[in-house]
Amino acid sequence: MSMTETAGEMPRPSLARIGRRIGMFGSLTVALVVSMVFALSAGRFEISPLRLLEIIHACVSNGFVVANEIDARIVLLVRLPRLLLAALCGGALAIGGTALQGVFRNPLVSPQVLGISQGAAFGGALMILIGYSGIVLLGAAFLMGLVALILVGFIARIDGRTEVLSVILSGMIVGALFAALVSILQFVADPNSSLPAIVYWLMGSFSTATWERLGMAVPGLALGLTLVWLLRYRLNVLALDDMEARSMGINPERERWYIFAAIALMTGTTVAVAGVVGWIGLVVPHAARILVGEDHRTLVPAAGLVGAAYLVFIDTLARTATSAEIPLGVLTALIGAPVFGLLLRRHFREANRA
Amino acid sequence: MLRHLRMTAAAGLAAAMSMTASADEISFTDHEGRTVSLARPAERIASIPIPMASTLIAIDGGTERLVGMNPRAKSAILEGILGEIFPTAKDISSDITAPNFIPNVEELAATRPDLVIQWAGRGPDYVDPILNAGLTTMLISYGTEAKTREYMTWAAEAMGKPERIAALIDWREQVLQEIQSKTAEIPEEDKPSVLYLLRAQEVLRTSGEEGNYNAFYIKLAGGKVASASLPAGWADVNAEQIAAWNPDVILLNSFEDELRTDRIYNDPILGLTNAAQGKRIYKMPLGGYRWDPPNQESPLTWMWLAKLLHPEIFQYDLREEMKKAYKTIYGHDLNDEQIDTILRVETQGEAADYAQFKAE
Repeated sequence: MSMTETAGEMPRPSLARIGRRIGMFGSLTVALVVSMVFALSAGRFEISPLRLLEIIHACVSNGFVVANEIDARIVLLVRLPRLLLAALCGGALAIGGTALQGVFRNPLVSPQVLGISQGAAFGGALMILIGYSGIVLLGAAFLMGLVALILVGFIARIDGRTEVLSVILSGMIVGALFAALVSILQFVADPNSSLPAIVYWLMGSFSTATWERLGMAVPGLALGLTLVWLLRYRLNVLALDDMEARSMGINPERERWYIFAAIALMTGTTVAVAGVVGWIGLVVPHAARILVGEDHRTLVPAAGLVGAAYLVFIDTLARTATSAEIPLGVLTALIGAPVFGLLLRRHFREANRA
Repeated sequence: MLRHLRMTAAAGLAAAMSMTASADEISFTDHEGRTVSLARPAERIASIPIPMASTLIAIDGGTERLVGMNPRAKSAILEGILGEIFPTAKDISSDITAPNFIPNVEELAATRPDLVIQWAGRGPDYVDPILNAGLTTMLISYGTEAKTREYMTWAAEAMGKPERIAALIDWREQVLQEIQSKTAEIPEEDKPSVLYLLRAQEVLRTSGEEGNYNAFYIKLAGGKVASASLPAGWADVNAEQIAAWNPDVILLNSFEDELRTDRIYNDPILGLTNAAQGKRIYKMPLGGYRWDPPNQESPLTWMWLAKLLHPEIFQYDLREEMKKAYKTIYGHDLNDEQIDTILRVETQGEAADYAQFKAE
């Protein structure tokens, strides 16, 4: 199987394989660009494609100063930051999920499994309840995501060692704890003011996207993505069992924590700027695996592209389908759950045949 | 003989008692179609919905009968003018429910209420625990003026004060007729489109027309409902959708304390709507209760909005009307400073047509 064969000495890829790979990444990039162009032109406020080009041209030729017309502002101050934020978060969540599934050698894990999402959700919800928003809310969400991860580390570390199973179980414990804390916040929240904001935010949404918010998300996401990118070779090794990995001179435990930190960073940041966006980290890695196979050197960037295009598309649907915004979490689950079911059936059918 | 007489007397007394009982008995059908019966006027009432607490104080003219309320109702009363008028409100229990309207039955029972008021239409979880505790319960809902009058009337009947409510209902009807007769003559094209935002700080939330009280008074005051294309019920919309509606007037809710009109003026998209460009963004006043949902002061809300939408047509002196209304409803003489606070004269900024509400 490709996973083991790519783990050790990497065989030189043949020309045909390189060609196929370029074709695949080319079409994934095209898909992402198409979904972004679609997102830029679609919306409740009607703007013709010609006018869209005019707006972009005017903006570029004026030194990126946004004109005072409402349609120009909608394109450049609402849709553009929103689709970029959705793309970035989609890519980060998908890559986080891919990395996590690799590390755990388990296709059913996602950032929710480590309790990071729930921790971040608690941090953010607490700030809404106290009455803070903006950068304080973002900071709290990210910090509590990290706290959740550190808690998982403490609980899972037994006699100086951390095993995969104990990490998963610790993640469940920490996740349940933070989910309960979020419930307490919802219980005491004012139904007239803070409660609707908390509930809405827990369902996930990019409706509050601005350039400023995008700017807040970029450092965390970029750092996390870079870390996973640098470790993409190691992901193949970490997908082996610990004995084999150690025999290759790698400290799997330490490497795993690097990956976890990167995932905490990406998940915490996403929750901070867009609420809890479920299912991306679980479903997209599978789709990417079908397209490019198991090798993390190609799987990681492929998952990133698919995740970005997918979330941009879903978010466009959420904000344009009806005059009321459809909560993002509802759409990702509605589309993600059946797709995941299909993938799972296919996975087991192939496993049975093999 | 004596014994016979005694028995007759006892029977007569019993008959007389049952007669007085049936004469005193209060019975009505609530918003879930249940029959609510009270043997005598309720001396102790606990209210779980938030706005109802202030309505009960208004109808009773005091806080004596209100024995329990929602913690959020209490904070609204204590922070607003009602707490100033009725300082005793701070002694009323607010442990009977969490803000989420699920009753804490033991706390509720401990207040020994003759009547509990709860929301209708929220399912048995909200009601059954109260009924199982053997407490008489009246279920109410709102959204229309008719429903508001109904539950206000029941509350007054339950307290044995039907005469109190007649005056308040007459006032509602009279103001409604007056405003309606004037707005009926306004041509459609002269009616501004008005958007009410129930939330605006983080999310932008509004509603379609059906069963929505805000839509009711927007139309009553001579406006068009900007969000009429939405289905019934509250929904979150984005700035782009509001730009597409491009309302002439935006009403900001009174629920989000921190919310100021700057939120709209400084928004890159909302700041370009007709409403922002015309400086016609207003935050709803906060009187004995918030003026957005139906309550005992609703006619003041209608007058306030009518004067904002059509200042040339409506010639009320709102400040005078408020003084009269507060005297009737709460037995309180409003001073100018209190009126300024209720109408948020200071924080509305340079909003168009708001100067008409300032003291002369």
